Amino acid sequence: MKYLKTWPVWMLMGLIVVALLTVGTTRDTGPLTQSDRIDSITKHIACPTCDGESVFVSRASAAEAIRNQVARDVSAGTMTDDEIIGSIANTFNGKVLLVPRATGVDSLVWILPIAVLVCAVAGLWAAFRRWRRDNSGEASSDDVALVEKLLAEDPTDEDNV
Amino acid sequence: MLGVEGLAGPLGRAALLVGLIGAFFGLIAAVMGTRNEDEKVLRLVPRFATLSCVSAIAAFAAMEWAMITRDFSLAYIQKVGSKSTPALYNFTAVWSALEGSILLWLLVLTCLTSGIVFKYRTRITDPMVGWAVATMFFVGIFFFILTLGPANPFAVGAPGVLDGPGPNPLLQNHILVVFHPPILYLGYVGMTVPFAFAIGALITGRVGEGWLVETRRWALFSWGFLTLGIILGSWWSYEVLGWSGVWAWDPVENASFIPWLTGTAYIHSVLVQERRGMLRVWNLSLLVSTFSLTILGTFLTRSGVLNSVHAFSESSIGPYLLSFFAIIVVVSVALIGWRGQKLHSPGTIDSPLSREGAFLANNVVFSVFAFVVLLGTVFPLIIEAFQNRQLVVGEPFFDKLAVPAGLTLLFLMCVAPVLPWRKASGELLADRLFWPAWGGIGALAFSVGLGATGFAPLLTFALGGFAGGAALRQLVLATRRQGLRGFVGRANGGMVVHIGVILIAVALAASNSYTHSQELLLKQGVVATFDGHTFELMGFKEESDARSTVVAAMVRVDGGKTYTPAITKYKSIGTNIGTPSVKSSFVKDIYLTIEPPVKVSSKTAKIKVFIKPMVMWLWIGGGLMGVGTVLSAFPGRRRKPTDATSALVPSETSA
Repeated sequence: MKYLKTWPVWMLMGLIVVALLTVGTTRDTGPLTQSDRIDSITKHIACPTCDGESVFVSRASAAEAIRNQVARDVSAGTMTDDEIIGSIANTFNGKVLLVPRATGVDSLVWILPIAVLVCAVAGLWAAFRRWRRDNSGEASSDDVALVEKLLAEDPTDEDNV
Repeated sequence: MLGVEGLAGPLGRAALLVGLIGAFFGLIAAVMGTRNEDEKVLRLVPRFATLSCVSAIAAFAAMEWAMITRDFSLAYIQKVGSKSTPALYNFTAVWSALEGSILLWLLVLTCLTSGIVFKYRTRITDPMVGWAVATMFFVGIFFFILTLGPANPFAVGAPGVLDGPGPNPLLQNHILVVFHPPILYLGYVGMTVPFAFAIGALITGRVGEGWLVETRRWALFSWGFLTLGIILGSWWSYEVLGWSGVWAWDPVENASFIPWLTGTAYIHSVLVQERRGMLRVWNLSLLVSTFSLTILGTFLTRSGVLNSVHAFSESSIGPYLLSFFAIIVVVSVALIGWRGQKLHSPGTIDSPLSREGAFLANNVVFSVFAFVVLLGTVFPLIIEAFQNRQLVVGEPFFDKLAVPAGLTLLFLMCVAPVLPWRKASGELLADRLFWPAWGGIGALAFSVGLGATGFAPLLTFALGGFAGGAALRQLVLATRRQGLRGFVGRANGGMVVHIGVILIAVALAASNSYTHSQELLLKQGVVATFDGHTFELMGFKEESDARSTVVAAMVRVDGGKTYTPAITKYKSIGTNIGTPSVKSSFVKDIYLTIEPPVKVSSKTAKIKVFIKPMVMWLWIGGGLMGVGTVLSAFPGRRRKPTDATSALVPSETSA
């Protein structure tokens, strides 16, 4: 059994995972229905008259109107999803985007999590370094002498080993 | 003279006033008795706790009575009461708006305070218990003041009102409104207990591990209820709101999720302190954060500063909650600073590759995750304050950042359960992770075989299988040694919780990634097909009463049972509310909604169909988390004092 758990087998397992992930992520997912596309787009647009809900979630009439506009754009088949979102966002001066832009002050919402993560990981790394340093104390000559003395008293005593 | 009808208001107000007095004198008795070591005074504490608890129960009963008798002399009943609301939803209408929900909070809090005082009645002279009880009274006083001031449910309403609109229509068409809020509040308010003991430990300077042991079950109990409350909220959202999802990253949802994240970090890191005497400041900070975040969340969602689908209307409660939040943070930080020297723990963590190392990594991820959710929730406020413009941060933002955090946590759930305390060698890890890793490969191969696509969901399935294997390994080893008792205890019950979490993660990944939807214009007698399923409109069902008119389309799915997605028009409010109908199975749900306008005479209905895989596993996972929490609360096998804390691991330098 032990030979199974050696590094070549782990390498093989890694290769299997990479192969399976490659197959799974590169194969054709099939066409989306129009409804799927509408759902996906409306999840990125906020309902302008609601309390923080997306057009996809909201049942308000303003959301219904935007949903119908998106449905028309999707049916026309001339725009990509991003273009449809951009066109709706322009109509409302960008106030209906549910994903903050990565420019200007809005970018802080993206930068701060990364900054906090980096600080936390750096703090953890520093803590482990400090702990390792604290742990690496050499035995003093007194400690060595004490152990030698105890061993010399009764070398067969297991408690002393 | 007051008739019986108008009696609830004065009674409720009187009860709240008596409760406030009880809590105030309870606080004085607890503080003075503890400071002066006066047992006589301390013996009064249980009486004051009982007084404030009974008063809160009386106030709650008075409010229920007012609701049941439709006492429209009260402003609150005018707001959420209605003669046409069915009895069950009329009962739950008490906590359907701001004032009643604060009253429910107060009820749970005073009951918990009373419970704590009763449990520690023989140790009431212990200073730590005394200060903890004083802290609970202090929190209680704040909530009594809220209910007597800005959130008074017994405020007198305008004269001459004979009927009201009833509760929000969304809160009167599903049984889960009975359970979700009270259970969630048990979790929220329960966090007061470990927080109070943390304050007690800081004041007395007994910052060792004793107070942790005292509050371990309370923290677990609160965390379990918070978990269950969140799961039930998701279920309610799925069954009622009609958009086929379970989580929208709505500010109110976030307000419950942020303390859950810090609470989860705490119940892991507390193990490091119990075992190794380390992370004292960190654990105290997590407890303070968890409790203060429940207050901050309440401020954000109840004050009207943020909008949300189920945030309550604007009120003057905001400054009170914000001030209370500030007091908690300042006092806690000051106490931690004051006890800084005593909080210094002498131990060290030997290696990142150890159980405690994994817990630390888990804490970093949970804390950053909590920060992300908090930032996303308050960011619109910040922008509005500094730039005077409106911004919405919604689901796509949270999804983008939650996915890597979730995957990292899943990875830690693969490795952490097999790690020993102190230090692990590469050989040990290779040995213990071998079969769980094959579990991951098996899950990945199975999902690819079924046609699953996409990097994030596939990685979720792989890590889910891996983490599930690690949890099962621990349970198998434990049950081999101890039989059924191997499911009990922190480590083993925790593994049951892990399996629940894994099921939820896998179900979320599958349902979010592989949902298909289609709008079908169904004609009576004509069968339509979508995604391998047949749908046939059999007719309509119409019901009307004083409260509402319901129009339901009867749709036969796959030639079998008929499902009835409906639209309900609430007459007093004039709002149309859609109610989905769901065919559930272990593999997938078929989720049907009826799209307006509904023209019964045309014998056609526009039905939106969502095919959602694996949704049922969300609820099964939630149930398992609950079961695992209960199992964790029982003591496991007692460790002999002479037992090693972990297996001996050969050092890398020894040959």
